[in-house]
Amino acid sequence: MTNLSIKEKSIKEKSVIEKPIIEKEKTLAIINSKAPYSNIAGKDALDIALIFASFEQAPALFFQGDGVWQLIADQNGSLISVKDYLKTFAAFEFYDIEDIYVCQESLNARNLSASFHIEKVQMLSKQAFAQQLATYNSILRF
Amino acid sequence: MATLHIVRQSAFASNDLAQCISSLCRKDTVALIDDGCYNMQHSLIKSIDSKMDIQLHVLAKHAQARALAINETEFSKMNMENLVELTFSHDRVITWQ
Repeated sequence: MTNLSIKEKSIKEKSVIEKPIIEKEKTLAIINSKAPYSNIAGKDALDIALIFASFEQAPALFFQGDGVWQLIADQNGSLISVKDYLKTFAAFEFYDIEDIYVCQESLNARNLSASFHIEKVQMLSKQAFAQQLATYNSILRF
Repeated sequence: MATLHIVRQSAFASNDLAQCISSLCRKDTVALIDDGCYNMQHSLIKSIDSKMDIQLHVLAKHAQARALAINETEFSKMNMENLVELTFSHDRVITWQ
């Protein structure tokens, strides 16, 4: 019994010592650049984001170009017989996906205001958008 | 902290190059491959601010296959091995496709 606790203790100490050697976790950003309904790019991006998030590696989401249409409120895919994956965006908070960025210029170019169907969307100028993107280790674009 | 931007689409057909250019940071590299080679002829390429210190590369075979002449004062020719090297010498890669 005593032996076991000593063993446990030594394992514990060992893990504490080894911790600094473990490589820092890589960060992932996903760029969404397509409008939601005519192709499956947005759905694929969402699936990947949720898979990463379920392994406690929540990615950051970037919306640029026609990708900003994915964030606009009051869309209804059922009218055109498309499964509305945009509703799943509401689960981001539950999945700890908290870094959501949208390009201000892309919104302006489409005459869109900042009325999104999810909360905590951060608007960035194209320079800030580029700089924020450059802080991630890996970037996937859809 | 530089990013390698691999552009695979012609700007005459898609917005990818425009989005790529708006996402450039200083000292980034742009590599044109596949239909991205057509962008050598597109005015958008000239819109890149020279102060940004952006390097432009073109996959020579892909350009040659499309009968595109490479202006070597503007673009560096590369082969597949060079492209792989670029992916290692940069911190991250964005593929615009």
